[in-house]
Amino acid sequence: MICDRIQELLAAYTENDLSVGDKALVESHCIACAECAGLLAALKQADAVLASFPEIEPGPALIEKLSRIPEGKRRRRPILGFFLKPSLQPIFTAATIFLTLLSLYFFNPDRKAFDKAVSRQFHRGISRIERLYAKAGAVTDTLGAYANSVFVALKAINPLGQGED
Amino acid sequence: MNLDEIIRDSLDGKEGAWNMLVNLFSKRIFNLAYQFAGSYQEAEDLTQDVFVKLYGALPKFDFGRNFSAWLLTLAKNHLIDEYRRTKWEKRNRDDFDDHLRIAPSGTDDPEAELLAAESRKILWEGLNRLPADIRMAVILKEIQGKKYEDVAEIMDVPVGTVKSRINRGRLQLARLLKDAKEKSHDL
Repeated sequence: MICDRIQELLAAYTENDLSVGDKALVESHCIACAECAGLLAALKQADAVLASFPEIEPGPALIEKLSRIPEGKRRRRPILGFFLKPSLQPIFTAATIFLTLLSLYFFNPDRKAFDKAVSRQFHRGISRIERLYAKAGAVTDTLGAYANSVFVALKAINPLGQGED
Repeated sequence: MNLDEIIRDSLDGKEGAWNMLVNLFSKRIFNLAYQFAGSYQEAEDLTQDVFVKLYGALPKFDFGRNFSAWLLTLAKNHLIDEYRRTKWEKRNRDDFDDHLRIAPSGTDDPEAELLAAESRKILWEGLNRLPADIRMAVILKEIQGKKYEDVAEIMDVPVGTVKSRINRGRLQLARLLKDAKEKSHDL
């Protein structure tokens, strides 16, 4: 519909921001169309009314509050400023996790069973480590024996021909 | 004393420098907040929030920038964020109060004055029907009288976008005014 197209152009028309062709189109249409002419008049009136809105003075109580902002910030900064440091956030996170785990342990109704299970697991772990250690000792001994026999065999072959003079 | 010196003195905590900034900009920020939120009480709270943010952000101010535009951007961001957070659009604006009635109409004709006051009331309430971005752009351009380029800098969008937003807002307000006029003619 032509009116929709014209109404889209009206705001730009009042700002003198249209091409010559569009401007002529708006003007000729508004002569014939009371609806669009009325909207154009309302647009001009709205601009004038908005421009006449007065500025209001802020109250003295507000100005007083605004003036005191640095005082409040300075008073709060030593305590809050330290705790709000971004570098401390990982420490706070770790502490929170630790405290959560601690509280889960201390407030657990089956704490004794939990202790027993932990102790059992701990001792199992210890004995597994001891076994591994013993196995590692055996492996070391075997490797030592292999090394000796290799050394003896090499001596017997005497690849460098030393001592044949 | 120029503005940069006042800002530097304020950063150094010099006596009176912060108060100078408050005196220079509180009225502008308060009016922006009042025109945007439509409530005197909200505007006071919002102005305070903006100045608290300003105090915190002042050390980051780039002296190569226009301070006024930078502060208005800070204010605009806060006002729109708060609007989205609290959904003010569901609330009514303050009554068309005495603060706005004192606007000079430039005429001695009481009937014309009455019509002008009625139009102001319609537009004041109509601002609440505009989406936040459009409302802010209309306020900055049409009420505060800023140029498109300044509004674009404050809103951090291209000039073309600002023009389109403002034109949409103006047209919406004009339709309200036209409808109200037609209704009053019908009565």
